[in-house]
Amino acid sequence: MTSIGITIAFYALSGLSIGAAVAVFLTRNLLHAVIFVILAFIGMAGLFVTLSADFLAVSQVMIYAGAISVLLVFAVMLTPYASRDNGNSLFAPVGVLVGLGFAALIGFVATQVAWPVFSGSDLEAQNFTGTVRTIGGALLGGYALPFELASVLLLAALVGAIALVREDER
Amino acid sequence: MSAALDPIRTRRPQGDLALVVSLFAVILLIGGAAGVGYLVLSGSLDGRWYDFRDLGVGMAHLAEWLDEQNASQPAATRALLGDHWMSYLTTAVIGGIGILSFVGGVLLILIWVERRLIARIQVRRGPNRLGPYGLLQPLADAIKLIQKEVLIPEGADRFLFFLPPILVFIPGLLVWGPVPWAPNMAYLDLNVGVLYLIAISSLATVAIFIAGWSSNNHYALLGAMRTVAMMISYEIPLGMALISVVLLAGSMQLSEIVRWQAQHYAWMAFLIPFSLFTFFFSSTAELNRTPNDIAEAESEIVAGFHTEYSGMKFGLFYAVELGNAVAVAAFVTAFFLGGWSLFGLEAFIPGYIIFATKVAAGYFVLVWLRGTLPRFRLDQLMAFAWKYLIPITIAHTTLVAAEVTAMGALALPGIVELGTVALVNIAFTVWVMRRWARFLGYRPETERVMQPKLTTQVGGLHAAERMRGAS
Amino acid sequence: MTTASEPYVLNIGPQHPSTHGVFRLRVVMDGERIQDIDMVVGYLHRSMEKLAEERTFTQNIPFTDRTDYLAAMSNNLGYCLAVERLAGVEVPERASFLRVIFAELQRLASHSMANGTFINDAGAWQTPLMYMFREREKILDLFEMTCGARLTTNYMRIGGVSFDPPPEFYPAVEALVAELPDRIAEYTELLVDNEILIARARGVGIISAADAINGSITGPMLRASGVPWDLRKADPYCAYDKFDFEIPVGHNGDCYDRFMVRLEEMRQSVRIIRQALDGLPSGPHKTEIPLALRPAPGEAYARVEGPRGELGFYVVSDGGPAPARFHIRAPSLINLSLLRQMAVGTSLPDAIVALGSTDIVVGEIDR
Repeated sequence: MTSIGITIAFYALSGLSIGAAVAVFLTRNLLHAVIFVILAFIGMAGLFVTLSADFLAVSQVMIYAGAISVLLVFAVMLTPYASRDNGNSLFAPVGVLVGLGFAALIGFVATQVAWPVFSGSDLEAQNFTGTVRTIGGALLGGYALPFELASVLLLAALVGAIALVREDER
Repeated sequence: MSAALDPIRTRRPQGDLALVVSLFAVILLIGGAAGVGYLVLSGSLDGRWYDFRDLGVGMAHLAEWLDEQNASQPAATRALLGDHWMSYLTTAVIGGIGILSFVGGVLLILIWVERRLIARIQVRRGPNRLGPYGLLQPLADAIKLIQKEVLIPEGADRFLFFLPPILVFIPGLLVWGPVPWAPNMAYLDLNVGVLYLIAISSLATVAIFIAGWSSNNHYALLGAMRTVAMMISYEIPLGMALISVVLLAGSMQLSEIVRWQAQHYAWMAFLIPFSLFTFFFSSTAELNRTPNDIAEAESEIVAGFHTEYSGMKFGLFYAVELGNAVAVAAFVTAFFLGGWSLFGLEAFIPGYIIFATKVAAGYFVLVWLRGTLPRFRLDQLMAFAWKYLIPITIAHTTLVAAEVTAMGALALPGIVELGTVALVNIAFTVWVMRRWARFLGYRPETERVMQPKLTTQVGGLHAAERMRGAS
Repeated sequence: MTTASEPYVLNIGPQHPSTHGVFRLRVVMDGERIQDIDMVVGYLHRSMEKLAEERTFTQNIPFTDRTDYLAAMSNNLGYCLAVERLAGVEVPERASFLRVIFAELQRLASHSMANGTFINDAGAWQTPLMYMFREREKILDLFEMTCGARLTTNYMRIGGVSFDPPPEFYPAVEALVAELPDRIAEYTELLVDNEILIARARGVGIISAADAINGSITGPMLRASGVPWDLRKADPYCAYDKFDFEIPVGHNGDCYDRFMVRLEEMRQSVRIIRQALDGLPSGPHKTEIPLALRPAPGEAYARVEGPRGELGFYVVSDGGPAPARFHIRAPSLINLSLLRQMAVGTSLPDAIVALGSTDIVVGEIDR
């Protein structure tokens, strides 16, 4: 992160993502929360772009902001009493505890793991054109088994969803 | 025939003046073409900043000049802002203004074009009252919509009600980024351009759903759910059709895809026609245009997800729908019709003019489909996507992947390779489409058109049974 | 674990782009499937039948224009036949032939509109409608030439027709009849083979012959269900027994068959007009009747084959200048009663297409 442009972008996008995430649990209306979640997803996609992870950024937009947000909206819509005031839920203390636990875990991982860092000039030296080839090679090369397992899992989820909503044949 | 039966005649402009003007225009055109041809052939245009065939060359010269200016800035500024900030800023702003003005202009003109075209297909004239040939109609529409009262339905969530027009407009603007107008004229030439396009067009889905949900209206919700179901179903064939393009061209960058087509003198439309059909048809579903416009099937659910939207909010939905139609035409041009290349003529004709002509042709086909075909029912649409298009697209992609691998392994001359690929693909398309349709139960011979039987004997139930037994 | 869903009520209200008039449907839907349909009519009720009791028989003819405003000539004809039967008035032969010509022209206009709006309901954005309206415009121009009005013609009189057509009428109608077969062939070529139309209309809204007869359905709907019944052949009125034409009968009773039957009826109408023009006798165009006709007390019922079905007029006289009771048997109302059977269990687009194929006119339903 050498240039000022990327620094400004980092702070702006981080502010957007964190602000949207905070707004998710501060807002009273569940659908508003979903909108802020979409905003957080887009902020994260921007952060991926600052790291030169082009494929990940676009996939983030396509999968999360494009499809999973629709899923969330459907889920909220089909939930009874989704528009009620969610501020006085009985699960609030439990939620706070779980959130703190997650924050501790992620903080530990972020600070203690030795993340390899490549700066822009390193990437230029390697004639780095994009992440697509690398990811593709990894998915179908070294990580082929998890990839196939993930697709089988998705197929199982698809079949299960259809089985759940199927009407009985009269 | 008496005058009472003739349609109302309108007066044509004076014939003589029109003849003189058109003669003058033809002479000017021929002279201009000759001049341009001379300039191009003598090579005095290549690489100069005044090469009007490709505005990107001029921009590159501007960027270089700005970098030189940048090098003479004080060191402190250069350490803070970097070595290229002037050129980045200037090219970004100019490109942004270019795209904004283009999209804005297109959105205004499109309303006129669409209405006149559809009217001509329907044996009528279209708007011709406001301004010459009705050209001020879009302006009048915009002013009318702006000055309308802002109606928010009771029980609608205000925040969620105001959001969808904005959410739908942003992707409509962003998709124009990667479009390559000429060899050096692509504003946002991403390495993952194809994926970017699919991602941005999937953002419209959630906006439409929120529009329907927040309107507090049964029609709107019905329309929104239909739309979402249809859009997410057709995103799959859309993406998979583009995979074949990416496989053949070897890159997801739009300018690379167009360059591949220019180098090989082969348009993707000839090589993978099934992908063209799938992409086009899925795009009409993504755009909510006939024959896939059940989302706003006027005869059934009034206006679908934008029933409750009035004024400029509705104007935005409508304009963005038309703008997206032109964007889809632009993608079809870039992916399948060779973009700015025209088998070598792009040396003489500016690339962006070739591109714009193809986009206009693609848009014309979209309007033609809208004016001609009735619409499908939702379950027929979904069945078509899931049971017919997706399996064939998967098989087709596998076939193209095999062909690309074979082309990489063998090193035959280009025309033999591509010719074989084209023939194999066309044969595959025709054969598989027919067999699969038959497998799914499409029996045209049993569903043939049955003309009514003609009879002169009247009768009741027994006569009916006799007639049915006789057929 | 099962999921449950609640049915909801969708109100396809009086103002809607596809209800062919002011007509309300309350549809109870479960997801996209229709469970029940409730039809609310009466938004266009103008109490014609009561108002008619205050006016003389001739003054009631404009009322009949406005019941089925898309088939004014047929309405006029039915009413005049009923009163002529009641009062025992003879109609000259020229008037009968003229009545036939205008009734068939009206059938052409009405079927153009019916088929056009049917395809409009199936989704083609008014393109076939605009094409079919070309002929309808010419026919309405002919009406205007003859009686001064395009839609509410008020043309038939008790005892004949009101005006003899002017001299420029005959070349115009000859030209129209000459070009109509080509036009109908054009529609056939464009629409009949259209895959999407077949997918939308084939198998939708099926009514079997037995159900149709039990439900008193008449007109193209009955013929599409396979029953060869046409009043012009079964109970000939005016001069229909002098003409040579056929009646089209459908196969399955679905919307596609109704569309084809109406298209074929347009061809047959052209035949009838051709024959009527060729054999038009000279003579008076109406019988003179007293200004305030007082028929002997009694009742009469006359029926014509309107574009929508059996259009019947029941007139009762008590010796006065005004009818004691005047009732219209509106085919649209009776045809509409089978909509529930056609639509329940299908989805909303199918119900709209089925409604479009019944070809209702709300003015007739509500009177």
